[in-house]
Amino acid sequence: MAEPKEIDLRLAINAISDVVQNRPRPLREFDQIYMKTGDMVLQSELVARWADGKRLAFVGDGDAISICVAYLHKRGIIDYGPSEIVVYDFDERICSAVTRFADREQLGTLRSELYNCLDAFPGPTNFDCFYTNPPWGASNEGESVKVFVQRGMEATGYSGEGMVVIADDLELQWPKQVLANVQTYAVSSGFYIQKMMPRLHSYHLDDAPNLRSCNLIFKSLSSTERTVKSSAISDPGRLANFYGRENPPRVKYVRERKRLDYGKAHEDEYAFDLLEAT
Amino acid sequence: MSEIIKPGQGLLYMKVGTHARESLDDIIERKTREIEEAGFAFWGYGGSTCHPQTMVQPFARDYERRGSKIYLCMQPMVSTHFAEPLRADEFSVDGIDWQEIPDSINVLGSRYALAITDLRKEEFELPLESTKVALGNSMGAPGSKYISGRVDKACLEVAEPDASAPEKSVHIGLVADIVKPYAVYVRNRRR
Repeated sequence: MAEPKEIDLRLAINAISDVVQNRPRPLREFDQIYMKTGDMVLQSELVARWADGKRLAFVGDGDAISICVAYLHKRGIIDYGPSEIVVYDFDERICSAVTRFADREQLGTLRSELYNCLDAFPGPTNFDCFYTNPPWGASNEGESVKVFVQRGMEATGYSGEGMVVIADDLELQWPKQVLANVQTYAVSSGFYIQKMMPRLHSYHLDDAPNLRSCNLIFKSLSSTERTVKSSAISDPGRLANFYGRENPPRVKYVRERKRLDYGKAHEDEYAFDLLEAT
Repeated sequence: MSEIIKPGQGLLYMKVGTHARESLDDIIERKTREIEEAGFAFWGYGGSTCHPQTMVQPFARDYERRGSKIYLCMQPMVSTHFAEPLRADEFSVDGIDWQEIPDSINVLGSRYALAITDLRKEEFELPLESTKVALGNSMGAPGSKYISGRVDKACLEVAEPDASAPEKSVHIGLVADIVKPYAVYVRNRRR
């Protein structure tokens, strides 16, 4: 991991502010819950350092940590970062936000691909590492987390590292169960737990404003990339409570309604009362 | 003590008062009329703590399968709510298929609505320390800890009384039965 350097905090926060301004609004029914901005600054610096010089796949990225990482590096606010970042997300608004920002800021290392994690992973499978902040699996004992982690592992050919961001709480029982199940899954998939950074991040989450998430960092036991035979996930048992109790996935892609006034106040939000002519 | 306060019972707790510039008494009168005319009413609300699809519907279905139902238990309070009293004209159970809201039912200034019948004044104390959040990201948390700050509504299950927990009761003054389709999204499409 690269050595951290002194960072101009004002520049970093303002850069993250640029990214936040570009994000689509979250859809709660798909567990799109955004990380708070201060935590995004710290998380982006950490991810950039962790994946320095590596090829990094994001399996879903509503938070836009991928953009933050690439942008902080490009602006020279940090002098380390991944050599390539690909965001896989089923929400076309998120993919377009990545593409739009990368195009505007000339972030040549960053791109996105529309992809639903229930489909077979499209490849390539030679990424060095993956990052995911999936639906946290309160109602399915972490099964939804395991689906996203599986795709991340496939992206690395089961021979890399992964950073998984999931709920972490000292009092609630379900996050403990999910953490245990996800760690068991990682071990059974040929990975070991390299690091756990507890209760780091807060969210714009009005039904659990104090709930935090941790970073769980996996590393594969094998350094040899293996051939991945990725396949679609259709087992009803894995999907029944994917987005909460009795809420299986029903949407393949969230499509973006294209508009010319992206990022501006929408015309249907306001009207003008004109000044009287003098 | 109310029949509702028994271990295992499901309820949706919320604070109520002025909503979209309409007083609680006026709302009760209007909703009672709607139930008489349409057989049910939509009770508008907002926030994500009782999201129609991820929280209220599965919660209510779970009780229905057990041959039971959940109650809407409301704590009247003095409040101001200056949301625009815009009438929703469509509702949806799943956010995909939308239907027109009957003219006799008016949901004002809300994003979501509960389907209710038998709206009635019923006074009792709800011991939040003897409840727990039934589902979602705060599942298992005591109601007494969960209901605080901006969190003013919750899907709760009544638990066995916990004598060791600090008492935190709230006064319920208004009750309704929650009926199919339990909770819906609402929107206004007409310009």
